[in-house]
Amino acid sequence: MKRRKFVAVGFVALAALVFAIAAGGVSGATKAKSITVWLQTDAQATNWQPIVAAANAQFQKDTGATANVQYQTWGTHLQKFDATLAGGNTPDVIEMGNTEMTKYMAAGAFQDLTADKASFPNSSTWLAGLAASGRYNGKVYGVPYYAGSRVITYRTDLFKKYGLKIPKSVAQFAAEGAKLISTNSKKGYSGLYVAGTDWYFAMSFVFDYGGNIATRVSGKWKGTLDTPKSIAGLTAYKNFFNAVSRASKTTDEAHPQPYDQYAANLAASVEGPAWFTCCVKKYTPVTAQFVMPSHVQGQVMPGFLGGSDLAIPVGADKSLGEAWIKAYTSTASQKALEAIGNIPNTTSLFNPKKVNERAALRSWFVPTAKNWVNVENQNILRNMLAEILTGKLTVKQAATAASDDVASILNASV
Amino acid sequence: MTSLPADTQIAAESSFRPARRRRLTRARLGRYAIPYLLILPVLAAIGAVLGYPVGYLINLSFQRYGLPELIQHTGEYIGLHNYYLVLHDSVFWNTLERTIVFTAANVGLTMGLGTLLALLLVRVSTWVRIPLTAGLVLVWSMPVVVAVQVWYWMTNFENGVLNAIFHLGQHDWYASTFSQLGVVTALIVWGALPFVVITLYAGLAQVPHELVEAAEIDGARPWRVLKDVTFPILKPIFLVLTSLSIIWDFGVFTQPYLLIGREHQYASNYLMGVYVYIKAYSDNDYGQGAAISILMLLIVAILSVFYVRKMVRIGDT
Repeated sequence: MKRRKFVAVGFVALAALVFAIAAGGVSGATKAKSITVWLQTDAQATNWQPIVAAANAQFQKDTGATANVQYQTWGTHLQKFDATLAGGNTPDVIEMGNTEMTKYMAAGAFQDLTADKASFPNSSTWLAGLAASGRYNGKVYGVPYYAGSRVITYRTDLFKKYGLKIPKSVAQFAAEGAKLISTNSKKGYSGLYVAGTDWYFAMSFVFDYGGNIATRVSGKWKGTLDTPKSIAGLTAYKNFFNAVSRASKTTDEAHPQPYDQYAANLAASVEGPAWFTCCVKKYTPVTAQFVMPSHVQGQVMPGFLGGSDLAIPVGADKSLGEAWIKAYTSTASQKALEAIGNIPNTTSLFNPKKVNERAALRSWFVPTAKNWVNVENQNILRNMLAEILTGKLTVKQAATAASDDVASILNASV
Repeated sequence: MTSLPADTQIAAESSFRPARRRRLTRARLGRYAIPYLLILPVLAAIGAVLGYPVGYLINLSFQRYGLPELIQHTGEYIGLHNYYLVLHDSVFWNTLERTIVFTAANVGLTMGLGTLLALLLVRVSTWVRIPLTAGLVLVWSMPVVVAVQVWYWMTNFENGVLNAIFHLGQHDWYASTFSQLGVVTALIVWGALPFVVITLYAGLAQVPHELVEAAEIDGARPWRVLKDVTFPILKPIFLVLTSLSIIWDFGVFTQPYLLIGREHQYASNYLMGVYVYIKAYSDNDYGQGAAISILMLLIVAILSVFYVRKMVRIGDT
């Protein structure tokens, strides 16, 4: 009798467990007409939010549907997106970094927007570099959202105090940076704060010397960081870093945030996105920006053109997704984005008075290979820079190893 | 009995025997079946939450499964090709070697320091033991992610407390792989000590005092007492703690990934847990990621078996 009771209890427990699991899978949500939009947390800034809100209102007016905007972080949004692709519950619109696009376009993650391209606002004057990042095999998968260039943010009061001028060459800037370091006894004080493994900045030197990361030769990718021109650029970066920066040689450009170093008076200038002026606190009145000079006197250095595209994943509601993108990339919306320091997606709004838009005139971009983002994820370039700056390897050794790694990743079949 | 005729006796016996046998069989059956029935719900639950994913993983490891396949929800069976690729990748072998050395260092330090601290706990007065135990429990109760933040701050380049205390200026604790994994080791050992110390301390309380006293009276020195009296009694606890530590440390992910940072995971500092994550979730090669997971499972099993056998042999001699 006792035994039977035990058995019965066991079975009841099992049945309860099975029932609980089954019940968990049932969802009673009714489907209202609404779409899900994934934007990056950048758009959560207080001066950015009204632009999103205006687009949502316009979208609701146009379609009667509502948009549920969810904010993602750059570090984790791809993995989350992969999970939704596997589960078939993708967002209807997703913001993608321009270097992230190719892999997903090649894999078939997005809906083809080629036929509807003309219906997007300003599509005939889209920023060429950004529009290229949303195209694959001649088809349009991504709508340019906004771009960002990288500039030098500096303390006008200090430059004035020590009689320094906006530099016209790398050599001049290196001398000025060294001088600024000598004026301040604080340990770790930088003339120009550059994080050691900031590959966006380091590659600008490579491109400035005519080098490149990789090129496509008869259908195969070839790493070009070990070419004499690229090595000259990397060597120039090493020398410049040692002259002007006292940042960690192994850290990246977000740990710590360069603007925090600047706001803490640990740097006379910082290198990074133009929106850094947002966060310099009490130095705001004595802060200005200039475009990084080239090693060639009087020219500017090509800078990395960052930016975002908006895409509609497979399985999403295409017409509502397109309607939301149209509302969010309207001329009014782009003007508002420009006003808060971004580069608009259309050349028709180009304003030469803005330093970030001037910086974007000479820019470089990563190889448009479907596996490029794996080079970023495996931190190949960061590792190379850390090895160069710490002296673990010579520039040539580190560049050769990295070049081989880049080629093997870009040519991998998966 | 003797008064009964022989044939009646036989008939009586023969009529009894089958009945007795039936009763015995039923009882025996019940005795055997009940434990299995009792364990059935647990087995079913484990099968659902563990067996299904492992089966799925094995299945996945035989497929080409990347981002396009993820979107199509269907992979292509390619036999053992994923295993072939992994086993011919120098990154795998370098990572495996690094992880085994890392695991040995971590488990060795955890068990060594843990034993010393547990022995210390036995000797000290209650007034010392209580704050010491409280401190250990506090360490134990700190979530790993929070602990990583604290250690990150302590070893920070710009204003880390370690550099300040030891007047190291701006020492970069993450400049080399050795240094990076050294900080990770310190964090892991620190976090693992409370469990080991408190468990061993509880075990030490079980060692009969008379045995230790007798050994001491016979002239055994403390080391001898530890080796020949305390350790044999605590052997099962050591066995369990070391096996668990090997399993945890071999597959560790949170500490190295967060402390070294996403931007600084290179092929030259991968541990197996990080390597499999990058392969599967950054490179979107789920097939190879699954193959590496299966290989990791086998390696941990082999390491554990090797260790358990060695421990059992120590006990036999």
